[in-house]
Amino acid sequence: MSLRPQRIVFDDVWGCLRQTVEKVLKLNSVRRDDWNSSFTDVYSICVAFPDPLADRLYSETKLFLENHVKSQLDEFNCYMNDMNDSESGENQLLHKYYSAWKNYSQGLEYLNYLYLYLNQQHIKKQKVSEAEILYGNGTTPLTISQEQMEIGELGLDIWRLLMIQNLGDILVKQILQGIERDRVDNCLTSKDIATIHGVIHSFVMVQDYKKKGNLQLYESLFEGKMLEASGNYFTSQASKLLQNCSVSQYMQEVIRILEEENVRAHKFFHISSIQKLKKECEDRMITDHKNFLYSECKEMVSNDKRDDLRNLYVLLKPIVDGLKELIQILLEQIKNEGAESIMNLKGENIHIQFVENMLQVHQKYENLIVETFKNDPLFLSALDKACASVINSKLSDGKTTCRSAELVAKYCDNLLKKSKSTECEIETKLSKSITIFKYIEDKDVYQKFYSRMLAKRLIHDQSVNMELEEVMINKLKQACGYEFTNKLHRMYTDIGISMDLNNKFNQHLKNVNDELSINLAIKVLQAGAWPLGPQTNITFAVPQEFEQPIRKFEAFYNTSFSGRKLSWLHHLCAGELKVSLAKKSYLITMQTYQMAMLLLFENCDTMICKEVREVLQLNNDNFQKHLQSLVDQKLLLIDTEKIEDSSVLSLNLEFTNKRTKFKITASMQKESPQQEIEQTITQVDEDRKLYLQAAIVRIMKARKVLKHNALIQEILSQSKVCFAPSIPMIKKCIESLIDKQYIERTANSSDEYSYVA
Amino acid sequence: MHFLGMDDEDKSSDNEQSKPDKMFTLKRWNSVAMWSWDCSTDTCAICRVQVMDACLRCQAESKKDATNKDVTCVVCWGECNHSFHHCCISLWVKQSNRCPLCQQEWSIQRLSS
Repeated sequence: MSLRPQRIVFDDVWGCLRQTVEKVLKLNSVRRDDWNSSFTDVYSICVAFPDPLADRLYSETKLFLENHVKSQLDEFNCYMNDMNDSESGENQLLHKYYSAWKNYSQGLEYLNYLYLYLNQQHIKKQKVSEAEILYGNGTTPLTISQEQMEIGELGLDIWRLLMIQNLGDILVKQILQGIERDRVDNCLTSKDIATIHGVIHSFVMVQDYKKKGNLQLYESLFEGKMLEASGNYFTSQASKLLQNCSVSQYMQEVIRILEEENVRAHKFFHISSIQKLKKECEDRMITDHKNFLYSECKEMVSNDKRDDLRNLYVLLKPIVDGLKELIQILLEQIKNEGAESIMNLKGENIHIQFVENMLQVHQKYENLIVETFKNDPLFLSALDKACASVINSKLSDGKTTCRSAELVAKYCDNLLKKSKSTECEIETKLSKSITIFKYIEDKDVYQKFYSRMLAKRLIHDQSVNMELEEVMINKLKQACGYEFTNKLHRMYTDIGISMDLNNKFNQHLKNVNDELSINLAIKVLQAGAWPLGPQTNITFAVPQEFEQPIRKFEAFYNTSFSGRKLSWLHHLCAGELKVSLAKKSYLITMQTYQMAMLLLFENCDTMICKEVREVLQLNNDNFQKHLQSLVDQKLLLIDTEKIEDSSVLSLNLEFTNKRTKFKITASMQKESPQQEIEQTITQVDEDRKLYLQAAIVRIMKARKVLKHNALIQEILSQSKVCFAPSIPMIKKCIESLIDKQYIERTANSSDEYSYVA
Repeated sequence: MHFLGMDDEDKSSDNEQSKPDKMFTLKRWNSVAMWSWDCSTDTCAICRVQVMDACLRCQAESKKDATNKDVTCVVCWGECNHSFHHCCISLWVKQSNRCPLCQQEWSIQRLSS
C-alpha cells in the first residue's frame, strides 16, 4: 500500500472500518488482517485527497459510540422495569453495570489505539496547551462540544453523559446500601466487593483523563452522599454505644470502628476519600461526645489507668484542641503530686529527699508520657511546666525564699563528698540531679552554693573522685554554657596544676640536694576564681617550723612564674602533728593555728593566754575559737572557766585518747550554716544587679534607642539562662544606670531610653 | 587498720630523725596559698576588668578552654611599674606610646607567665 494521499470514497472505507470498530467495542474477536487494515483505513481517511476527511470520521465515530451506549442504556432501562420490585434484581443492577462498564472501557482502550493516527495527528494539534488547561477554565460545555477529543476520551465522555447521568443516582443508592450491609453484618462476597469498588471507580475513571477536576463527578455524585450516609451511621452508632458503655468501653469501640472504617475506605473508595471518611467518623464519634470522654479524664490520670489513657490519646490526638483539657489535667496532677512529695520534709537529709522525691515524680510521668502518649512534645512541655512550677514555688510559709537551688547543690555535694556508692552510681545520680537542676530558675543561686561547696571539697581533699568532679562540671557546662562553669572549671584545674607543682617542687628539692623537715603538700589557687571571701586583715605570725618550707616554696614558685605573688591562707591549712607524750604518741590532724599553739609548748609547760596570742598575733576571734578546741580536747588545760587574757594554759602531759590517730575539727565550722546561706543569697543579689546592669548597657549600646518594654523583654530573654529577674529589680538597675549617666530618657517620650556614649 | 599504718610511719620517722625526745613533730602540712599578679592595682585601668580575669576583649571572644586563659591574656608591667592586660596595653600604645596612668614613655618591663 502506498502512504501517499489518495482519493477515497468515505462511505466505503468507513463501512469497513465500522465493522471492526463494532467488534472491538463488543470485545468480539477481530481477525488480524482486519485489525491491520483498519489502521490503514483510519490513516487513509485522515489523509484523503483532495480534502482530508478526519472531521467526518470523527463525527461518524462519535455518532456510532453514542448509539452504542444508548442501546446499552435501553437494555438497562428495560431490565429495571422488569425487576422493579424485587430486591435481588437491584443488587444485580450493580453487577450488570459493572460488567458493561468493564467491557466498554476495555473496548474503548483498544479503539483508542486503533484511532492512534487520528488522535496523534489530527486531534492533538488542535488541543489547547497544557498551560491553558491548568490556568484557563477550558471545561465549560461550550468548548467541549466544539473541541474534538481523543477517541478514548470521547468514549468516556459519552459514557458519562448518557450512562452515568441517567443511572448515577440509582447506582449510588445501591452502593450505599451495599456499604451499609458491609457495616452491619459484614456479609458481602468478594464479588460484591469487587463490583462496588469497580462501580465507584468508574466514576473516577470516566473523568480521569482530565488534568483538572478529574474527581468532580466522583465527588458530586457519590462522595457527598457517601459521607452523609456514613455520618448518620456514625451518629446512630455513637448514641447506641453511649447508652450502655462506660468511657473505657466506648473508647475501645470507637477505636475498633475507626480501624474498620479505615479498612473499608481502602476497600471501596478512591484514596481522596479516606481522610474525609476518617474525619467524618471522628467528628461524629469523638468531637460530638468530647465532654463524655473528658468526664473521666481526671480519674484516669490519678489512678494511672494507662490503657484508657492510651486510647484517649489516640482518639483525641486528631481532634482540634482535643488534647488541651487532658494536658491541663495532667499538668495539675503532676503539680499536686510534686508539691506533695516535697512538702513537710524533715530531718537532716532534706536535700536528698527533695531531689529524689522530685525525681521520682518526674520519672513516673515521663515514663507515662513515653508509654501512653507517644512522647508527645505537648505533654513533655506540660511535664516541664509542672515540674518548674513545683520546684520554683515559694515554700508555703511565705517568708523563706525558694530553697531548691541550695538543696540540689547540697545533694550534689553530698554525692561527691562521702557517698559509699560506686563511681557509676554516683554519676547516674549526678546526671539525674541535672534533670532537676534544669528546672531551677535561680541557676545563679545554685552556682554560688555549688562553687562554695566545691571549694570546700577541693581544699580539704574531700572529693571522692576528681574525675567525677570534672564530669559534673562538664554536665553543668552542657546545661548552662561556658560562662556558667568558667570559675568552677578554673578551680578544678587549679588543683591539677597544684599537684603538678608539688611534684616539680619535690623534684627541684632533690635536684639541689635539699630536704624539707615536713611532708608538704601545697595548693596554689588563683585569686578571683575561688569563693573564699576577703582574706585581708587575718594576721598570723608564722611559726618558724613553717617558715622554712614556705620560703623555699616561694623561691621555687618565683622561678617558675613571673609577676605573681603568693599569699598564704593559713586559716584553710591543716596538718598532722605527732604529739609524743609520756605514755603514747598520737598523730593528730588539726589546723595550722592549733598546731602553732601547741608548738609553743615544746619548750615550756605553761603559758599565759595573752602571751600566746601576742606571739602568734592572732585576732581575738580566731584565737578564742582555736584555743577552745584544744581545751575541749583536753590537750591543753586552763585554770579558768572562760578563756581570758590572764588565764594560765598548761600542756596536759597525762593526755590520753583511745585512738592514736584523730582529728580536731571543732573550729572548722566558721559560720553557722544559716548565716552562710543568708550570706550566699545576698551575694547572689549583688551579682544579679551587676549582671543586669551589664546586660542593659550591652543592649543599649547595640540598639542606641529602645522602648521600656522592649528593653525589659530583651533583658528577660538574656538572663533566662541564669535566673529570672524581678521587674522591680530591673527597673532599679535602669534607674541606677540613668544616675550613672550610662543611659538617659529620651526627650520626646517618657518610656524610651537612649544610650549615652 | 590504721593502727598498723601508724606503726609503720612511726618507725620510718624514727629512722629519719633520731630525736625521739621531741614532744611535737610536724608530720604533714597541707597548706593553701593564693596567687595573684604582683600589681599595685587589682583592675586594669584600660578595660576596668580585674587583672586576674581575662580582659574584656578576650572574655567577649569567650575562649572555650579555661586553661588557656593565662597564656592568651597575660599581664604586662611597664618600666613605670603600672600593669595592664597585655592585650589592652598593646592596643593602647598604637595610639600613644605613653602609660595611661602616669604619662611616662611606655616600655615593657616584664610579662607575666
